[in-house]
Amino acid sequence: MSYGIPSDEVAEDFRQALEDLQINSRYEISNLTVIAKENTEHALAISEALKNHIKQTPPQKKLPAFYVLDSVVKNVGTPYTLFFGRQLYSTFMEAYALVDNNVRRKMDEMLKTWKEPVPGSIDTRPVFPPEVTRPIENALIKARTSAVQAHQEHLRSQQQLMNRGRPSPVPYRDTPTPPNTTRQPAPVPQGYPQQPYQPPSNGHAYGQPNGNQQYGLPSVRTHSYRVSKPMLNEMKRPPSQQYPPTQVPSWQQPQPQGYHTQETSIDSLNSDIANLILTSKADFAQNPYDSSIQTRLKALLDLQSILQSQKLPPDQIALIREQVTQLGEASRANPQPKPQRIHAPSPVPVAATPTPPPVTQAPSLESVLGPGARGALAALLARQSATPQIATPPPQPAVPAIRSPPTQMAQPAYQPIPTPIPSTSTPVPPTDTSALLQRLKAAGILGGGPTTSTPPIPPLPLPASFPAGFPSLPFMGMPQPPNGSRPAMATIPNDVELKATSLKIPRPHLIASLYEQLGAPCTQCGRRFKSDEEGRKKKTAHMDWHFRVHQRMTEAEKRGQHRSWYVDELDWIKSREGPDDQTNDMLDGGKTSGEDAFAAVKTKLQYLPVPDDPAANNVCPICQEKFEMKWLDDAQEFVWMDATKVGKTIYHASCFAEAAKDGSRGTPEPLLGKRKAEEDHVLRTKIKTESFA
Amino acid sequence: MSIPGIPGLGQSVPVATSSAPVTVATTAIHELAPNSEWRFEVAIGQSIEVRVLSGTAEIFGTELALNHTYTFHGTKSSIYTWHGTRLEVTGSCEEYIAEETPMIAYVNTHFALEKLRQQAQQDGKEGPRVLVVGPSNSGKTSLMKLLTSYAIRMGRQPLVVNTDSREGLLSIPGCLTATAFASIVDVEQGWGSSPTSGPSPVPVKLPLCYYYGLASPEDNTKLFKPVLTRLALAATSRMAEDANVKESGMLIDTPGVISQGKGGYDIISHIVSEFSVNTILVLGSERLYSDMQRKFSTYRTSNSEAITLVRLDKSGGCVDRDDAYMQKSREAAIKEYFFGDVKRTLSPHTQQVDFDSLTIYKIRESNNMYAAFLPGGQEEAEPEAESLYEAVEPTSQMQHCLLAVMYASLNDSQEAIRDASVMGFVYVADVDDKKRRVRLLSPVNTRIADRPLILGSWPEPTMSLIG
Ligand SMILES: [Zn+2]
Ligand SMILES: [Zn+2]
Repeated sequence: MSYGIPSDEVAEDFRQALEDLQINSRYEISNLTVIAKENTEHALAISEALKNHIKQTPPQKKLPAFYVLDSVVKNVGTPYTLFFGRQLYSTFMEAYALVDNNVRRKMDEMLKTWKEPVPGSIDTRPVFPPEVTRPIENALIKARTSAVQAHQEHLRSQQQLMNRGRPSPVPYRDTPTPPNTTRQPAPVPQGYPQQPYQPPSNGHAYGQPNGNQQYGLPSVRTHSYRVSKPMLNEMKRPPSQQYPPTQVPSWQQPQPQGYHTQETSIDSLNSDIANLILTSKADFAQNPYDSSIQTRLKALLDLQSILQSQKLPPDQIALIREQVTQLGEASRANPQPKPQRIHAPSPVPVAATPTPPPVTQAPSLESVLGPGARGALAALLARQSATPQIATPPPQPAVPAIRSPPTQMAQPAYQPIPTPIPSTSTPVPPTDTSALLQRLKAAGILGGGPTTSTPPIPPLPLPASFPAGFPSLPFMGMPQPPNGSRPAMATIPNDVELKATSLKIPRPHLIASLYEQLGAPCTQCGRRFKSDEEGRKKKTAHMDWHFRVHQRMTEAEKRGQHRSWYVDELDWIKSREGPDDQTNDMLDGGKTSGEDAFAAVKTKLQYLPVPDDPAANNVCPICQEKFEMKWLDDAQEFVWMDATKVGKTIYHASCFAEAAKDGSRGTPEPLLGKRKAEEDHVLRTKIKTESFA
Repeated sequence: MSIPGIPGLGQSVPVATSSAPVTVATTAIHELAPNSEWRFEVAIGQSIEVRVLSGTAEIFGTELALNHTYTFHGTKSSIYTWHGTRLEVTGSCEEYIAEETPMIAYVNTHFALEKLRQQAQQDGKEGPRVLVVGPSNSGKTSLMKLLTSYAIRMGRQPLVVNTDSREGLLSIPGCLTATAFASIVDVEQGWGSSPTSGPSPVPVKLPLCYYYGLASPEDNTKLFKPVLTRLALAATSRMAEDANVKESGMLIDTPGVISQGKGGYDIISHIVSEFSVNTILVLGSERLYSDMQRKFSTYRTSNSEAITLVRLDKSGGCVDRDDAYMQKSREAAIKEYFFGDVKRTLSPHTQQVDFDSLTIYKIRESNNMYAAFLPGGQEEAEPEAESLYEAVEPTSQMQHCLLAVMYASLNDSQEAIRDASVMGFVYVADVDDKKRRVRLLSPVNTRIADRPLILGSWPEPTMSLIG
């Protein structure tokens, strides 16, 4: 654009004005249109300036710039249509490739209007001639088609069809792009900065590398030096009314605990931990009998290993960071007098076996943070993912949203749980990693545990009185639920009869038994849990389950999954539906919270290669049932599940164990020994299901 | 610039699979007053995203989580609110808000059933066995889902029985199934998913499947009735042994065609007696209601209970689903069986199998056809005409068909095979007449040659499954 054109100055002014165009501001856009209109003699320079601006401006500012273009070609027309038309294809498509889907939709809409005459104009020609718009349309169609083809290609999984062995991983694996086909598209809030890829949907965000996207940092990868300045400007701007573009990231404020990009945060966290470990080791060398130092050291080592082996979401990292900071202070001061034991006190109450959980595996969050902590973290996560891809919104007071007037679309969505996320400015609790637990409890996230002062989970913000919204009754003679001084909901009897007249009467008090009487809903799936002790335990287990499932979804995807065979009749009759969280665990092959169940599964997972000898018994002599055959990927052969060979005879491993137990009381009781026969059967059914897998 | 590489394209920009124009997706906010319903239709091949911003909302009785993004692919559905709600909808769909719904009667039906369940629990007896009848597109399945979800929310475990082979319930169409529901229904995926080898974001359900393999019960009542009897036997056994299921009772869906009178009523009677039905919900049709009244007013179940008969209004949200739509959704169900859904990709296996190693039985289409028209001069054909199935060899006509893999052995009688439950389905990808080999797509990589396979005419061959 520096061809020495006499209109340099005009173009420069225009460019400057464009730089300031942050949002879809009608005023600014019409201003720019007027400039363009009044300077048609400089149309070439102005259109060049606009084209260049569109090319170079960060993605979140591309749409406003396009609106300028759109406004100019529609309101001024020639010669701008001519100048823009020349490179419209590349201007449009290059931008299209970089912006998010919401902007794409806007661009699609815009393109559509370009194919038509300006509304209200006497000129019946389209805004841009078809030879300009058609190539763009074709390219978009082609791109979509190939996206679909890629999708189908993937679905077809041709390679997997050919190779009968282990399925190969998803083709797009080694790019940062999550496989399109397996993800739900994530919602893209209006005006949200460009995202280099479609981030995983809220439901899948667990355990994923978060990268920058989490914080709404605009990507700078494609832009020139000019980008940084406007970008920073934008960051400093208060969120505008029309497009609050994103949360203003707190990293700009000089708080050390704020959200850095995660990498930075983890790096510094790691080095802090490493330092603490060094200090603690030194302390330990001096006081080898001080169990508090030992405990601390162990906790730190576990934390380190977790941080190195897992990608944690920022909430967790922030919490850990906080604890580490405090630990650091504590170790600088003096060894704590009597820290709480950090490890989970061994016998988990549910577990029937006295066997303590083996500690051989990599430490889990739970082992560091105490029992139930995973559930708490899962709850944290759930909350975080309730507002996907936006950095956690500032805690808002709970507005009774139902009655509130419609608010601006792009305002942060109403938060279901009003409890603020523990922030770093809260008073410093006792310095111990287990303090994290207390913190979580204080925040109302964590249920159960010995602490009693836990505030109850806030009730759902439902309107206090329902009948207001109820439709007027067409049958006025019908008795209505008493309104003013009505008894407690639970005491109102269910008087519904399966008769036409009875069925017509609205009974809001009964609706409550499907809603608030059931407690507060899970943020992930909407299932409600009572706020009593038992309900909270269930909810913690439930959140825990969500968390584990999401974690394992990723693994499972890499491994390749397939539909299981349906259960057979007898197994189905014998099967029992547990609470969702448990059934699924079993079907999914272990890693249950109850260690004994896991061990039982392992016993059941004994197998034998299907014998070549045709004379081998294919029926278990004890129960007279056939052995279940399964293709075992690991072994690359067909096996009989739950089978063991004793001498020349093959038995179900479980049948044999059972029989052996009956025979000799003195031997250590097999793991299944305590189970009732029926439970055992259920278990087997479930395992059978999984063994088909 | 490489266009196909545009990241994210084709994700939330819905792409029409057919020649339909690409519609522009937008985001809209819907304010729903209490007791109103947002009804929407997403074309097959397209999707929308819905978020509940405030208030409460439910889909067929399953409460939606606040601020969670739900994605709906090619579906006709509705979101109801008791308390009012604000919905954010992204993507294009046909939609409108309805103030008039039969929801009060529906939810009261649930509470009436709930009362029966409480009673059953106290007395140690069986909960209600509820049959839902009504013409096609009267909302039977939606009502089933609603009653199921409400029961689950109150901690019940109803046994959900599908006797409509036109549409699958956690299975491929052609099956009759029974499933105990204890966990939340997957609102994005019909009734949810049967088990897979991996974890599931919504708990999987465990269906028991029997194969009928024809579209209408009247296509072959000699096959339908015994299969149904077997299903009822299993369901009743489960109910007898499983305390939770016992007190929760059963919810039984039916094919619309049997509500049209004549032979259909005979099928209804059969279902009523086999499942000891004691509650019949008639959707819509007044005439059907009075017919049912006449038929069952003096009827007593095996434990000499009278039948409670109630007519419920059809929801205005019920839309006619034309044949093309139904075929597409069957196809989608088959695809989902082998390849999973957007939440979870499944990888089936292919197997090359010799003709000779397969035992395939083809279902005879109708009741009397073979007795009447036999190829000339085949005297010995008479006994075979009586049989349910015909043993066949693979032919190229079987290409793109599904075969039901039965939990039976090769030398079992036809009756035993008929009564066996379904282990799963394989898809005939390719038939090579020369080499006498079949390429089969199978969900699991196990040998299927030692199982009898049944070939039905329902669901119809699916071309588009693999290229
Ligand atoms: Zn949940
Ligand atoms: Zn055995």
